[in-house]
Amino acid sequence: MLNPALLAALGNILPATSILTASEDTRPYECDGLTLFREEPNAVLLPESEAQVVAILKLCHAARLPVVARGAGTGLSGGALPDRNGVILSLAKFMRILAIDPLSRTATVQPGVRNLAISEAAAAYGLFYAPDPSSQIACTIGGNVAENSGGVHCLKYGLTVHNVRRVRAVLITGEVVEFGSEALDSPGYDLLALVCGSEGLLAVITEVTVKLTPKPQAARCVLAAFDDVTSAGAAVAAIIGAGIIPAGLEMMDRLTISAVEPFVHAGYPQDAAAILLCEADGTPEEVAEEVAVVNRLMAQSGATLIEVSRDEKQRERFWSGRKAAFPAAGRISPDYYCMDGTIPRRALAAVLQRIAELSEQFGLPCMNVFHAGDGNLHPLILYDANRPGDAAKTQAFGAKILELCIDVGGTITGEHGVGVEKIGDMCVQFAPVELERFHGVKRAFDAEGLLNPGKAVPTLHRCAEMGRMHVHRGALPHPELPRF
Amino acid sequence: MTTDLIARPDPQSVAELVQKLCGDYGERAVTSQSVREHHSHGEGLADSALPDVVVFPHSNDEVAAIVRLCHLARVPVIAFGVGTSLEGHVAALYGGVCMDLSQMNRVLDINPQDLDCRVQAGVTREQLNAELKGTGLFFPIDPGANATIGGMAATRASGTNAVRYGTMRENVLGLTVVAADGRIVKTGGRARKSSAGYDLTRLFVGAEGTLGVITEIQLRLYGVPEAIAAAVCQFPDLASAVNTVIAAMQTGIPVARIELLDDVQMDACIRYSKLEGFAAKPTLFFEFHGSPAGVREQSEAMQAISDEFGGSAYQWATQAEDRTRLWKARHAAYYAALALKPGAMGFATDACVPISRLADCILETKIDIEKSGLVAPIVGHVGDGNFHLVVLFDPNDADQRERAEGLAKAVSLRAIAMGGTCTGEHGIGWHKLDVLSQEHGEAVDLMRAVKRALDPFNIMNPGKTVPL
Repeated sequence: MLNPALLAALGNILPATSILTASEDTRPYECDGLTLFREEPNAVLLPESEAQVVAILKLCHAARLPVVARGAGTGLSGGALPDRNGVILSLAKFMRILAIDPLSRTATVQPGVRNLAISEAAAAYGLFYAPDPSSQIACTIGGNVAENSGGVHCLKYGLTVHNVRRVRAVLITGEVVEFGSEALDSPGYDLLALVCGSEGLLAVITEVTVKLTPKPQAARCVLAAFDDVTSAGAAVAAIIGAGIIPAGLEMMDRLTISAVEPFVHAGYPQDAAAILLCEADGTPEEVAEEVAVVNRLMAQSGATLIEVSRDEKQRERFWSGRKAAFPAAGRISPDYYCMDGTIPRRALAAVLQRIAELSEQFGLPCMNVFHAGDGNLHPLILYDANRPGDAAKTQAFGAKILELCIDVGGTITGEHGVGVEKIGDMCVQFAPVELERFHGVKRAFDAEGLLNPGKAVPTLHRCAEMGRMHVHRGALPHPELPRF
Repeated sequence: MTTDLIARPDPQSVAELVQKLCGDYGERAVTSQSVREHHSHGEGLADSALPDVVVFPHSNDEVAAIVRLCHLARVPVIAFGVGTSLEGHVAALYGGVCMDLSQMNRVLDINPQDLDCRVQAGVTREQLNAELKGTGLFFPIDPGANATIGGMAATRASGTNAVRYGTMRENVLGLTVVAADGRIVKTGGRARKSSAGYDLTRLFVGAEGTLGVITEIQLRLYGVPEAIAAAVCQFPDLASAVNTVIAAMQTGIPVARIELLDDVQMDACIRYSKLEGFAAKPTLFFEFHGSPAGVREQSEAMQAISDEFGGSAYQWATQAEDRTRLWKARHAAYYAALALKPGAMGFATDACVPISRLADCILETKIDIEKSGLVAPIVGHVGDGNFHLVVLFDPNDADQRERAEGLAKAVSLRAIAMGGTCTGEHGIGWHKLDVLSQEHGEAVDLMRAVKRALDPFNIMNPGKTVPL
């Protein structure tokens, strides 16, 4: 419970309806997309103006009250998990698209605007916002900036950090700061990049200017099947090595295909050991040319079947299987655990081989589905939480996969963030000398450590193993969302 | 933790440190006047400040050892590549140790499959591309000068083809940095994306050596395009040329380079680089990269736009030698401008505005130039909204210098007022310290706090980038 004086002070900033304290009202905020961790917040605040955010943060700063900012709560690493002693600051009411400048190809929006809503608004100008996390129909741009979200398209169009021009934010002291600028470059330290992916630890975002991309005139998808995962990995290497940057390049293994195909009938060959989906976009001529090269490289790498989408309908059908991979896992296994490591592309075949060995060793099946083009793996470990020992084995298996990623020069999280989920693994990836720099940055922004404490960057003392995303009987948060 | 502390490094400590470095590094620690002089300034205005000693390290460990000594002695340390920066980045304002990284010049690793490579900081842009020959890959960032990769990362360089390939911000994947306490920090890595921890890579990129010394860089590479074509198009007036650029950007034609030269700059280039067949009119230089069909499509779309704005027929340079000659002329623009008035000096301004304000910004600036009575050619990477003036003045004429400074200032302030910046790519160094606060307001406090957190004794290139 918040102390009454504080509650009264908040009442001077916000109308009573924008301060939630009753358990039935705050319960929906007890976790984000990572449901394994829950904490009921003391209070949920729903400001609707920047001035209110400033006043709230000043108050919290003076009272030394932790603040956890929250968008749509679709994060997968527990970044929006409430702090036991603090408040949730929801930006859900910041829902306005403030301006679209088709000439400069930018949109200025409030942080609570949904990712997809930006593309919908920009469509009138033939533009779209390129980063497309799988939760894009629900997740907000403020959350995307905080997590530096990716998506299928980021291979060609970049991550959030590449597609954000300017962020306006409030520091814990209540100061309003602008990072970046409307122009292409901005002098001094690149604080904008620091804020992107800072998981709510540095500032509360109140306005974002994003870069818009012209919609490609045409897009076609190549589906290729392989008899073994190594050849599929070689095809990925050949395509990227040829200097082609496809709009999307995704891979699924046999187990994934067998889970997905009966579910959505995407038209995948069931006897394949792996399939690749490779999308080309651009002008019709460019697309035709790129598809021809991709076809040739797939064939040279040993593809047993190659099919090119004939029309939009078929292209969407090819993608439907990829998008249904997570729910499909929930259909064939009582529980699954989604990992998110990134490796250098050339290590792909070796890492997949090693995961297969580990799968054997732990006696747990593992579906491999991932953004192959940028080496971002999403292995799904299938297990049954009701079978004694399975959960522990799963965690151990997962930890091995992340260590494997680091061993080959990769990272423990490609796009889902650290949050509370991977805070222990941060100690594996980063040496104390690097963690100290992280803490230095944090101190510069938030000396008292009030913004989203306990997330993203472990203290030097704390390098303990933590839990991971746990999905029981397919009870995925936001089951309506397509997942990648 | 104040500038005072560093403004007067203890002469005794400096002397002892110099002696120690001379002992440890022998011929690779130099105190001769001429070598210190050479390391006292970059290009642009010759405001020089001499370091006490210049050291030429060969390895990360040597750099770390030197910084560690500087840290213990509280003596400034300034990293130096080849000295092509324009805003006084390398001047040793408070003396100290200049660390010349030019002998750390090995390409460590090239990975064609991952389209990346790792280089030591002293590798130059041209050297890297020479070593990439035969791999089918290239590194596109091209600021004109043959700068070192370390210097380009430290200043967040961009250049003529940033419109297609981005700047160093987009193309540095990871770094090895020696931090202010002499410890070696590795940021980023081989993986294409990571959401673990704060983005230290981009923090060090563009920090101008004020947070640490960059010693190794992991870079993104690109496949050499199958087809490359360059073209020149001339316009009846400046507005038509600028509007052509704006329309092209809006349509999203993936032009690799699009450069504007105004009538004065074109005149200078024609004379200086002996270009034939061109008039002294506002001109756009284009380059298209892609498959043969892609290049054809892009250039047809581009021609349709420039036709609308009264552009001339395109003069093509499809042969590599012709292209080189053309871009050499573009890159020599600064020297060509200086040659317009022998004996003159030049301020290079560096405004960058949102594309939608580009026409207003350039046309209003052109009027300012006319009013000033000075010669100031305009040239720019206009696809990014970035353009430069070389404001020429007679260094012995106080009135001219004052007018030149006034003009440069007016351009900076206009760019800021239009939502842009006064430094699109040259950085802050110490020449532009005062305008940073105008542009960034509260953010400057944060930059200062970051600087203090990562360099508490202010020994890393003190007096630059962020006003303390």
